[in-house]
Amino acid sequence: MDKLKTTSWILLIASFASIVYAIIFNPVSWIVYAISLVSIPLFILSLGLVTMAKGSKDEEEEKRREPFIGY
Amino acid sequence: MNLMTNILINVIIAFFIGSLLFGLQRKIMARIQGRPGPPIIQHILHTFKFFIKESAFPYTAAMPFYIAITAMLSMIWVAAVIVGPVTGGSLLLIFGIYAVHKIVEHNAGSSSGSPYGKLSCVRAVYSAAAEIPLFAVLVIIYFKTGTMNITGLINYQTVHGPLLYAIPLAALMFFVLIMSKAPYSPFAITKGKDIVSGYETEHFGLLRGYLMMSESIAWYMLLWVFLTVFLGPISIPVYLIGMIVMSSIIAFINATTPLLNPNHSIMMQVTFAFIGIVGSFALLMI
Repeated sequence: MDKLKTTSWILLIASFASIVYAIIFNPVSWIVYAISLVSIPLFILSLGLVTMAKGSKDEEEEKRREPFIGY
Repeated sequence: MNLMTNILINVIIAFFIGSLLFGLQRKIMARIQGRPGPPIIQHILHTFKFFIKESAFPYTAAMPFYIAITAMLSMIWVAAVIVGPVTGGSLLLIFGIYAVHKIVEHNAGSSSGSPYGKLSCVRAVYSAAAEIPLFAVLVIIYFKTGTMNITGLINYQTVHGPLLYAIPLAALMFFVLIMSKAPYSPFAITKGKDIVSGYETEHFGLLRGYLMMSESIAWYMLLWVFLTVFLGPISIPVYLIGMIVMSSIIAFINATTPLLNPNHSIMMQVTFAFIGIVGSFALLMI
């Protein structure tokens, strides 16, 4: 598993756990605000990084061979 | 209701309604231009579709900033939902969030390494002049009501009637500002089709879907702030009707107006700001 995938899984689990914690234990307001600001965006992003499709190795090689026109 | 549940529900509502309003806008624009147009749910479908598409990160992208900046956009609009519908907090925070939105446009453009993104990045700085009307609106509202608090403004309007009638030019300035955030708008210079998709050009796949999600929340929030600040205590159906009417008016303007070049766009907004500020102070003195 590559580095991005591992990080995404960790972030997904951590953000989901913190959201569930805030729902169940109802901590003081500022903690809930902090959890919402950090965990909601991270949950969506990490979910996307985990579920996104990845090209096969052969395709990746083909893409690398494509000439890079540069900017 | 539990605070976290309240925030989650409001964020989900903001996303779905914002996306549907964007879809409605595209539909209306298409009908005006004599095309059938996409279904109204197309924006939502696109957002979800991008999440499962194969994503690629350009070699020229500044990692991890290139990914983090998309999370930043989501973060600031979740903050707006908390400040607005959840807590009825300060309008100044909304102004701050809007200012950070500009910074996100700027940095998303520069982090991708694309020339289109970089052009958009420069335009984002340039279009910061569009914040003059927003700041002026806040000042005028404060002079009129003596408060910057959204709950305070609702209470003020319960007693004195909608601010829309008291300071109409401030409402017009805010409307122009909202319009600058609409896709295909004459003022949307950071995402103008002359620079492909501006700062979003090289954010593919899930990152594009993520940006679209945040933009839907942003659209809902801008309309929510307008309706709350200028119409006061209104029911949920009136909010919905108000948002549909405003999105339709903006769709009509977008469909019939070409994209202005950056100079004209900024000058036009500054002109609106000048008329709005001078006119509003004149109305306040009468």
